[in-house]
Amino acid sequence: MADCREQITKKRRAIPYGQGLVLYLLVLSGSLVAADNSRVEKTFETSPNPRVTVANARGQILVRGWDKAQVHAVYSVVSSHVEVDTEVIPSNGPADKIHFATHLLDPLLSGRDQTADYSLDVPMGTNLEIRNTQGSVRIEKLQADDTTVESVGGAILVSDFTGHLFLRSVGGNIDVIRPSGRVEAYSITGDLHFVSPTTSKLRGSTTSGRILFEGDFSDGGDYSLSEYSGDMEILCPPSASFELFAKTDRGKLQNEMPMTIRRQAASPMSSANSLFGTHLTGKATVNLRSFSGTIRIRQR
Amino acid sequence: MNETGHGRTAACYRFEQELQAYMEGEDAAFVPAHARECAFCRVIVEDLEALRAAALALPLEEPSPLVWSFVRAQLLDDGTFAERANFGAWFRQLGWLHRPLPVATFACLVVLGCLLTVPRNYPKPGNTSPISTLPARSAIRSMAFMRDSATLVQVVRELEATFRAREGSLAPDLKATYENSLISLDASIRECSDSLEREPDNSLAHEYLLAAYSQKAEVLSSALEFDEGR
Repeated sequence: MADCREQITKKRRAIPYGQGLVLYLLVLSGSLVAADNSRVEKTFETSPNPRVTVANARGQILVRGWDKAQVHAVYSVVSSHVEVDTEVIPSNGPADKIHFATHLLDPLLSGRDQTADYSLDVPMGTNLEIRNTQGSVRIEKLQADDTTVESVGGAILVSDFTGHLFLRSVGGNIDVIRPSGRVEAYSITGDLHFVSPTTSKLRGSTTSGRILFEGDFSDGGDYSLSEYSGDMEILCPPSASFELFAKTDRGKLQNEMPMTIRRQAASPMSSANSLFGTHLTGKATVNLRSFSGTIRIRQR
Repeated sequence: MNETGHGRTAACYRFEQELQAYMEGEDAAFVPAHARECAFCRVIVEDLEALRAAALALPLEEPSPLVWSFVRAQLLDDGTFAERANFGAWFRQLGWLHRPLPVATFACLVVLGCLLTVPRNYPKPGNTSPISTLPARSAIRSMAFMRDSATLVQVVRELEATFRAREGSLAPDLKATYENSLISLDASIRECSDSLEREPDNSLAHEYLLAAYSQKAEVLSSALEFDEGR
């Protein structure tokens, strides 16, 4: 009996020590994790139309336009061997240019450890230049002269953008929603998706990805979509007024829009299938090309 | 004469300062006068004179081109003379041309630009379609294409060889993205080339083939720039 009591007493004493140890380890690991996922927040006074550049290897970049003459940047890194360099030009007064660059302190760092995530609130008139090698880029509500986004494997999503937009991703998908101005989107294996554009000029090209265009064509607009082996689908309203030049070498052409046809079926000189025609008054110009993919034009 | 504990006097230090001038034939009467009185300094003068005599007795030999190039480089660095202006000198100043990557990409873009801007349309009477590009002499056109594309193909081939040599340094997921894109582009190049062999006047195949090579050059350049920037 005395031995049992002694054992119970020892266990009761051990429990608080054990709990304390667990708590200590939790706090220690938490602080270590917090130290590694360092988050930095900065605000810069800027001119109304600054130029902001971001160079990043991996992670998410989110840029939103707002009505303040400020750039509010929040960025976080996974590893303490990653730092973000910031350069403001000029160094005094409202900034005309702000450069953010993710810098690897350890060249052997790889994978997720390279991750740096950015969230930027920028003036609506900000011109952007973003390079995010293996990470996604998302841009919302900007009215800039000129924005360029380039990635290798990351997806690009731009919504409610006005101005000249140049987007390129080797393997990532590109989504452009409600753009106006001029749009250029290029990928090799990624898909292209355009939703409700009111652009005057739109260019899209992918080699093996798909192209989906949903929306109307602006009067006087010039639209050129090209893919090699993927499928292309155009969904436009019955009120869309456009002149169509569609051509595929080995693929199929499927049109559901009533059109005044100028020429259809295979040309005797080649195996190409082509469709040249006008829907309504032909105010916009639509040029669709595919080598071996299917081109579908349907009413939305 | 006062002698120090090491046998060197103030006169010896003066001797050292004027020795070089004496050996070069300048007027330095103190040197031989002190050498007659100081055994240590006399040995120095005798050794130097013996070396000079031995050097004069050596047979004359033309220095190797390597030696002259070093001498010339040193003289240029010193600004002793300027190179005579010529095309080679001007070309060498374009340091960026020594880097193969931007040269190859630039050449590729120039060729592509020429190919795209050279008019290829031979409009047939009564044909108002802007798309129609059927050439009147398809055989000559395809031969011209093959000649022009040879440069483009060669540039892409060189870029790809460099990429293959360096692809091991890329992160696995990055390498996979590039590989997938190259596979896709190579497939399009093969198919378009096959189409052109069967139908030399296939304008669509022609445009896609050029576009595929251009895109492949851009992808490879992107991969190599990323690798160089690491």
